Amino acid sequence: MKKFILVRLVNILITLFLIATLTFFLMKTLPGSPFDEEKLMNLSEELRMEFYAKYGLDEPLHIQYFKYMGDLVQGDLGLSYYYKEQPVSSLIMDRLAPSALIGLQAVVLGLSIGIILGMVAAFRHNTGWDYFTMIIAVLGVSVPNFVLAAFFQFYIGLKWGILPVAYWESYDHSILPTIALAVGVIAQIARFMRNEMLEVLQQDYIITAQSKGLGDWVVLIRHAIRNAMIPIVTILGPVVVSLLTGSLVIENIFSIPGIGSLFVDSIKMNDYTTIMGLTLFYSAFFILTMLIVDILYGIIDPRIRVHGKE
Amino acid sequence: MKRNILKKWGILLLAILLLSACNFTGSSDSGETSTSGEGNTSDDATTGNEEKVLNLSMENDIPDLNQVTTTDGISFDILNNIMEGLYRLDAENNPQPAMAESVDISDDKLTYTFHLRDGIKWSNGEDVTAHDFVYSWLRALHPDTSGSYSFILSDYIVGAEEYANGEGAEEEVAIIAEDDKTLVVEIKEPTPYFLGLTAFATYFPLNEDFMNEVGTQFALNHESILYNGPFVLTEYDQAMGVTMVKNDQYWDIENVDVDEVSMKVIKEKSTELNLYEAGELDRITLSSNDVNEFKDSEEFGTETEFTSWYLQFNLGKAPFDNENIRKAFQLAVNPEILATNVLNNGSEPAYSLLPPDMQGIGDQSFREIAGEVIEPDFDIAKEYLEKGLEEIGGELPEIEILTADDTVAKDGATFVQSQVKENLGVDISIVTKPYSGRLDAMREDDFQFVISKWGADYNDAMTYLDLWVGDPASAFRGNYHNPEYMDLVYQAKEETDEQKRIELLIEAERILLEEDAVLGPLYYQGSAYLQKTHIQNLVVHPYGARLDLKYVTIN
Repeated sequence: MKKFILVRLVNILITLFLIATLTFFLMKTLPGSPFDEEKLMNLSEELRMEFYAKYGLDEPLHIQYFKYMGDLVQGDLGLSYYYKEQPVSSLIMDRLAPSALIGLQAVVLGLSIGIILGMVAAFRHNTGWDYFTMIIAVLGVSVPNFVLAAFFQFYIGLKWGILPVAYWESYDHSILPTIALAVGVIAQIARFMRNEMLEVLQQDYIITAQSKGLGDWVVLIRHAIRNAMIPIVTILGPVVVSLLTGSLVIENIFSIPGIGSLFVDSIKMNDYTTIMGLTLFYSAFFILTMLIVDILYGIIDPRIRVHGKE
Repeated sequence: MKRNILKKWGILLLAILLLSACNFTGSSDSGETSTSGEGNTSDDATTGNEEKVLNLSMENDIPDLNQVTTTDGISFDILNNIMEGLYRLDAENNPQPAMAESVDISDDKLTYTFHLRDGIKWSNGEDVTAHDFVYSWLRALHPDTSGSYSFILSDYIVGAEEYANGEGAEEEVAIIAEDDKTLVVEIKEPTPYFLGLTAFATYFPLNEDFMNEVGTQFALNHESILYNGPFVLTEYDQAMGVTMVKNDQYWDIENVDVDEVSMKVIKEKSTELNLYEAGELDRITLSSNDVNEFKDSEEFGTETEFTSWYLQFNLGKAPFDNENIRKAFQLAVNPEILATNVLNNGSEPAYSLLPPDMQGIGDQSFREIAGEVIEPDFDIAKEYLEKGLEEIGGELPEIEILTADDTVAKDGATFVQSQVKENLGVDISIVTKPYSGRLDAMREDDFQFVISKWGADYNDAMTYLDLWVGDPASAFRGNYHNPEYMDLVYQAKEETDEQKRIELLIEAERILLEEDAVLGPLYYQGSAYLQKTHIQNLVVHPYGARLDLKYVTIN
């Protein structure tokens, strides 16, 4: 197990290095610079070059690349060009908190409701419960979350005045965005859980358990859930990453100072260091989550446990 | 089982950690802010009469409140209300004495002697002196600390350009503090709009002691700025917005009616509208989709800014190296339909380059004196096209129009395409690039004609006409070079008589548009807004640092 993790960590470093290199050169092919080019046109060619030189942007690309990678190895993500004088690392941490809070709440909410709905639907297969769950699941998957968000904002926020319309001032402000994000997760999880439970419930060992005289609930909890969870864990990785790293649209609709909008803005503004910092952060986060998912497999299902166990 | 418990506690811990990291209600370091919701009256204020609070929004983050390096409208909007220069623009965009009480201008109009007002103070109680201006202006010029707006000082002040290039010495820059109250500035050429320039952010003062104290932390939070304007910041979060309160050290505090202003970052137009309707915002700009719905409301209004949109022809590329073909395209587009039917966002149709309210002489605007230059006429356009076709041998090459990829610019390009098809029978195609890609293509001479714009830096015709001087000719300005035009602009720069100066500039604009047809005017950018009726005298200048909250009154 230890060896497995070690090998994976080395792989992760190589992957990150490749991502950093690729992003760096792709990013530099974007037209423009982090500055207001239209105003810079007012300066003479000399002064303009001097201006770029101040930020090290006049040097050949490969020099800029080695400089950046040198800083990166030392853990320095550099200063943002757009948010002048601000370290990218603190920028990311500031913006991550709101996104992560909403994302985490949405994961917890989506996961718990989704699993329960899915189980109920499977247990009461082909009854009203089942149909109800499936209708919710289809709606949740097919209605985009920004439509829901706008809908919630207009009715719950503006018309009925139950919760704040938008902005980020108190815990109440996080409720609507959480729900808007969670609906999709509920739908996805519920569908998976139902299908998987249906399959598991027909397995020989379940029938064995039942014929031993165990009660419905005991069978469900001891034998069924654990096996039905495997595909859930598979999709959980990407879901967690995408929710915790922010959703641009939801953040914009509810005016949340999150990381999703920072990423899009940084690309629009050619804010090189922030683009790099965020790309690396996202990648690292994603890869590490995948690693954790792989480890979780082993815990849930010993059959998948990787070789090298004691 | 043990693992499960661990997992549960872990998640709980993480949640608590996140919640505490989110520090709702702005920054945690501003201890005086109350913990409950929005727009409430703060507890520490003097009880008694009700606080007057103004709630505004901004369409994007605040990138940089360093007055020298910043370049974006949102930062300027905030700076204009927390800082003050020698002069401040009034509601009619005329400069009025602010930090300065008066100015003596020499007969050759080259030496300005500013006398500072008594009782002007920084927000920490120290006096604002002439030395603060010298320090700040030199800092704005110095290559290590300057930003892309340094030209707004170096273009005018004697010795400033050399200093900015790192060639001249500090002593040679003609900004001199004779004593604490007297500031003497020498400029290179007679500049009727110089007083207006001193109202702009790059010309604001800075306190040297304070700057040394904060160092690189300058303007990164509300405590690392020293204020001298009508308001001070009590909260500043780049992604969320600012809260300003009245500056009790401000010299003209009796004339500031608003106690507190909150400016929130709201990027989504529909969210802005919902917040306005919920009563949480007092003024918003409308997207063009919503204009028709609110057109008849008494809260509705429109305003234009000093930003002109135009077709820029490339005189170095076929077919627009031919004058008659340029004229044909220029006259074949009807700006009226574009502004009112297509854009429908408060923009005004343009028949000239300079926007309507730009300063002329005295109370008269440039446009009033000069009249309109271009009159679209499809029949004449066709005649020009035929003439042009004869000259180039009967056949138009393939024509592409370059545009940026935002909705408004693209709508403009599509409109031009349809007008050219309808009125000239010519098919053109549209090339769409991101904004900075459009600028790059223009600089690299890779376009035939383009939808472009220019926003004024100051309130004078020169801010536009100077761009096409073509000395040397640049692809960015369509490779235009006409010695006659150049002479007119250079003469105007040296002319001390305002009447003659305006005449020279009027003639220059006429040559640029009518005679040489370098540009095809499209529209003056505008916006439609909703504003609660109890808010009055909220001034939005058409250029530069636009938002002025000093004059706002709330009934």
